[in-house]
Amino acid sequence: MGMAATAATAGRLLRLRAAGTEGPWRRLRAAGLPRGFLQPASADGDAAQRRQVAHFTFQPDPEPLEYGQTQKMNLFQAVTSALDNSLAKDPTAVIFGEDVAFGGVFRCTVGLRDKYGKDRVFNTPLCEQGIVGFGIGIAVAGATAIAEIQFADYIFPAFDQIVNEAAKYRYRSGDLFNCGSLTIRSPWGCVGHGALYHSQSPEAFFAHCPGIKVVIPRSPFQAKGLLLSCIEDKNPCIFFEPKILYRAAVEQVPIEPYNIPLSQAEVIQEGSDVTLVAWGTQVHVIREVASMAHEKLGVSCEVIDLRTIIPWDVDTVCKLLHHPGFFSSDSTFQCQHPLPTGNFPTHLILNSKL
Amino acid sequence: MGVSSPAFSPQHSQRQQQHFSSLDDKPQFPGASAEFIDKLEFIQPNVISGIPIYRVMDRQGQIINPSEDPHLPQEKVLKFYKTMTLLNTMDRILYESQRQGRISFYMTNYGEEGTHVGSAAALDNTDLVFGQYREAGVLMYRNYPLELFMAQCYGNVSDLGKGRQMPVHYGCRERHFVTISSPLATQIPQAVGAAYAAKRANANRVIICYFGEGAASEGDAHAGFNFAATLECPIIFFCRNNGYAISTPTSEQYRGDGIAARGPGYGILSIRVDGNDVFAVYNATKEARRRAVAENQPFLIEAMTYRIGHHSTSDDSSAYRSVDEVNYWDKQDHPISRLRQYLQSRGWWDDEQEKAWRKQSRRKVMEAFEQAERKLKPSPSLLFSDVYQEMPTQLRKQQESLARHLQTYGEHYPLDHFEK
Repeated sequence: MGMAATAATAGRLLRLRAAGTEGPWRRLRAAGLPRGFLQPASADGDAAQRRQVAHFTFQPDPEPLEYGQTQKMNLFQAVTSALDNSLAKDPTAVIFGEDVAFGGVFRCTVGLRDKYGKDRVFNTPLCEQGIVGFGIGIAVAGATAIAEIQFADYIFPAFDQIVNEAAKYRYRSGDLFNCGSLTIRSPWGCVGHGALYHSQSPEAFFAHCPGIKVVIPRSPFQAKGLLLSCIEDKNPCIFFEPKILYRAAVEQVPIEPYNIPLSQAEVIQEGSDVTLVAWGTQVHVIREVASMAHEKLGVSCEVIDLRTIIPWDVDTVCKLLHHPGFFSSDSTFQCQHPLPTGNFPTHLILNSKL
Repeated sequence: MGVSSPAFSPQHSQRQQQHFSSLDDKPQFPGASAEFIDKLEFIQPNVISGIPIYRVMDRQGQIINPSEDPHLPQEKVLKFYKTMTLLNTMDRILYESQRQGRISFYMTNYGEEGTHVGSAAALDNTDLVFGQYREAGVLMYRNYPLELFMAQCYGNVSDLGKGRQMPVHYGCRERHFVTISSPLATQIPQAVGAAYAAKRANANRVIICYFGEGAASEGDAHAGFNFAATLECPIIFFCRNNGYAISTPTSEQYRGDGIAARGPGYGILSIRVDGNDVFAVYNATKEARRRAVAENQPFLIEAMTYRIGHHSTSDDSSAYRSVDEVNYWDKQDHPISRLRQYLQSRGWWDDEQEKAWRKQSRRKVMEAFEQAERKLKPSPSLLFSDVYQEMPTQLRKQQESLARHLQTYGEHYPLDHFEK
C-alpha cells in the first residue's frame, strides 16, 4: 500500500468507527481511494526527462551516547565496521562470498582482506548453494562463518541448505552438532532501478522456518549493532541489508563494538490510535506517514520497527493491540513493500489474534 | 608472412602481471593454460575404456601385487573382518525388525561393508566424517556401541539424537561423525567448509565426505568439488558407486566415465578403486589422507561396489533388477568373503572361529536389540528444545500448551511408552 493511501485509510477507518460501521480493513483497500489525496503538488514537467524514483527520506536517529566515540558512517561503512570488529575479536572468523575480496559490489568488505589476510577474507566460486553449505561446514567445525549472498534475489539456490540443513542442524542431531556461528548477509529490498532480480525482499520465505533468525536493520547504527548480535548469536542468522540505504543513510555510529538485541522490536514513536509495524527501508516511509496522519487527519500513530522477523517480538507488538481505542487487531496496519501474496505482514496479523 | 598480433592495452598487461610481446603468438587468455591447435577436433569422452580400477586382492582374496600389500597386522585385519560381519548381522536383525513392525524403517549396507571399513581404518580417529546414510560401518569401526545404533533406530531415551529422526540417521560427536540428514549431497559443501576450518586451525585433520553415485548428480556435489579445489581444502571425497540410486541404474544417472572422471575437471586428484577389496580401499584412503593434509588439497576416491540389498525397507528391488544379478555379487564378489579367504590363507581364521564368531556376534546384537526395545521413548517436551540454542517464548508456550493438553487428554496417548 502506498503511504498516502495508508494514511487515508487510517483516517477513514476511524471515521467509520465513529459512524458505528464495522468492516474488515481489507475492504477499504479495494475501495479505490483517490490517489494523490495527500500528495504535495508535483513540480512542473521539465523538457528533459529525469529518472523518477519513489520518494522517502532516511530519518537518522540521534547520536548514541552510551557506546563511546562515534563517527559519521553510512550503512555499508557501518557493516564494514561490524565486520572489522568481529574479525579483530574472533580469530576463527572468516568472510567469504562472491567478490568480497576486492571489497564487495557494495563496498561492505573494503580493506578487510588487507587487514586480516587472504585466508580470512576470500572469494568463492559463483555458487550460492556452495557458499551457504560451505559456511555451514565452517560453523559445524566450530569457527565463525560470515557468508555473503550478493543479492537477496539470489538466495534461492541456498534455500535447501538454509531451511533443511542450517535451521535443523541442532535439533536433528539432539544438540550434538550445530551451525550457530553462521551468519549470512545479503543486500535486500528495492533500490528504484533493480527490477525483478535486484530488488527482492524474500524474508517471508524464511519467516516460517524455525531454527534460523532473520534480521533487517533500518539504519547504520541499527545495522552495526544487529549484525554484531547476529554474528555472536548461537543460531544461524540471515541479515538482510537494505541496499537503498547503503549510501543514503548516514548517522553517527560508535566505532567500538556494541550489541542491539535480537527478537526485540523497537517502538520508535508512541501513539494511541493506530499501530504501524515495519522493517528496513519502510520504517522511514512509515515515520512520514505517521507525521502526515497526525498533521492532516489528527490520527496518533504508534510506529514499531520489528527488526527481527523471526523469532519476532510478539510481546511488544501485541501489547499495543490492546490499547484503549483499538477495537481489534484488525486495526493494525502492516506497512511493507506491497506484496499481497503470502507476505509476512499477513502472518503478523494472523498471529496477533491472541 | 605471419599474422600480426593485436596490440594489447597497458591495462591488460597489468592485470596479467606478465609482459606481452606483440610478436608472441601463444594464447594469453586468463581462463586456460593451453596451446593453440588448428585442427577441429572434439575430445571423445572415454567410457568404453574408463579410468582403471585399483585393487590389491583378486576375487579369491589373494594378493595380486605383493608390493601393494599393506602388510597389516593380524589384529587389525581381524578387526576389519569382525566389524564387517557384525555390521552384516546387525543389518539382518534390524531389517527383520522393521518387517515385524518393531522399528519404522531401515537401510542395510549389504555388499558395501568393505568401503566403510577400509576407509575408516585409514583415517585418524579424530578425522571428521560427513556421511550420506549407508556408512554405518565407519561408525562401527570407531566402536560406536550396538546399544546406540539400536537406540537411534528405536528412537528411545538412550538415543543421542533425542529420538527426532528416522532410523539410520546416526551421529556421534565423540567419534567425530556428523549426524546424518536425509537430503542428499547437502553434506558435500559442508564437509568442504569443515576442511577449510581444519586447515586454518592447523589441526592436522582430514575431513572425509561419503556419498553415492546418485547424490553426485546433485548441484551440491558440483559446488563441493569446486570449492574444495579453489579453496585448497584437506578433504577426501569418497564416492560409493554401488550401481543404483533406488531403482535408477548408473546408465540413467550419468553418461560420462563415472564419478572419478569428474575429478580432473575440477583440478582434483582422483582414483577409482575396487570397493569390495578392503585393502585397496585402505591403501587409497591412507595415501589420500597423507597427501590431503600435507598438501592441503582435495582427493576423490570412487569406490566401485554393488548394493546387494534393497535401497531400504520401503523398496523391493526385484521390481527393477534380476535376482541373478544380485546373487552374482553376493556369491562371487563380496568384501566379506574375499577378506575371509585372505584371512584363511594366512592361517588367521578358520571355520571353527567362524562358527563361534557368528554365534557370538548374533547374541551381542540380539541382546542390544532386546534391551533397546524395552526402553522408554524420550519425553514429549523434547519436541521443542534445540530448535534454537535458547528456547524462544513462542516455543515455550507451545511446550506448555502440549503439557496441559496431555494433562487433560493423556489417556488418548501412549504416554506409558514415553519418559515423563
